[in-house]
Amino acid sequence: MHFFNSFLQWLHDTSFSEYIRDSTYGEPVIESVHVLTLTLFLGFAVLLDLRLLGLVMRRKRASEVLAQFNPYLAGGFTIMVISGVLLFCGDPVNFYSTIFFKVKMIMLVLAGVNVLIFNTTIGRKVSEWDLSPTTPRGAKIAGIVSLVLWAAIVAAGRAIAYALPPP
Amino acid sequence: MHAIASGLYSFCHWALESSFGHGVRDSVWLFPAIEICHLIGLAVLGGAILLIDFRLLGMRFQNEPVANLWRDVQPLMIGSIVVMLVSGFFLFSSEAVKMYGNAAFRLKMVSLLLAIIFTFTIHRQVTLADETRYSPFWRKTAAVVSILLWACVGIGGRAIGYV
Repeated sequence: MHFFNSFLQWLHDTSFSEYIRDSTYGEPVIESVHVLTLTLFLGFAVLLDLRLLGLVMRRKRASEVLAQFNPYLAGGFTIMVISGVLLFCGDPVNFYSTIFFKVKMIMLVLAGVNVLIFNTTIGRKVSEWDLSPTTPRGAKIAGIVSLVLWAAIVAAGRAIAYALPPP
Repeated sequence: MHAIASGLYSFCHWALESSFGHGVRDSVWLFPAIEICHLIGLAVLGGAILLIDFRLLGMRFQNEPVANLWRDVQPLMIGSIVVMLVSGFFLFSSEAVKMYGNAAFRLKMVSLLLAIIFTFTIHRQVTLADETRYSPFWRKTAAVVSILLWACVGIGGRAIGYV
């Protein structure tokens, strides 16, 4: 733990971190990218979750929706992670000191586990329920868990900014 | 012009002094809570708009008529716009007079008005029309204009806190 705290302090003292923190455009631009990429990543994730619940795009094969959305989900997620890591680098010690940051990271891992479980169970058999009028229970659970986790992740992310000490 | 400006200013003043303006301003957690609703609405609205526009640009669901996609996501689009307008209004009311003079807020409101009008007139018309009615050039132009207008709304919104 001591080592980790030293690492955060070292990161905080780098000129890279200082640039993000103190430059006029660094933090606002990165934060805007982070927030506005929600439209791409979370927007498509919500559409996919609603398809798993059988609420939208019912006439389209679930497998096709998954395949069509995947590049956008992957691209959006990559932008979210890169911009998020950059924001963290700008103020690592304070970020890590907030409970909301820790809760957000734990929920991100849980969201990943949810995807993993889906992909290895009901998602593998997607061709069996592709066009059935109601989606199977496993798919519904994956969809609801994802919606709840991502709403909580957004909330925790917003809360981090309020919990940080004022500049 | 002067009459419109003073009318808008009076409206801002009314919102600021209204019971919900006071309520949001005086509460510690209400503003962040409404902001979170606003952000989730942003994600849903953005997803619905981008899905239609990516399809118009020929990037996704090539074998699916874009009119079907529009009908699929229209309830989400309208629902999320309502959530954003209501939550946005409450956020605005807590600091309405300050917003009146905020350049980013003004940019956001003008582009919001244009984006909503464009989405439910030209954009909707191009999307729901027979695929052969408009050339690919006009379909793509409609998609690009839509993305640009909504991007102005989003960027304007982000900039409110910084200007």
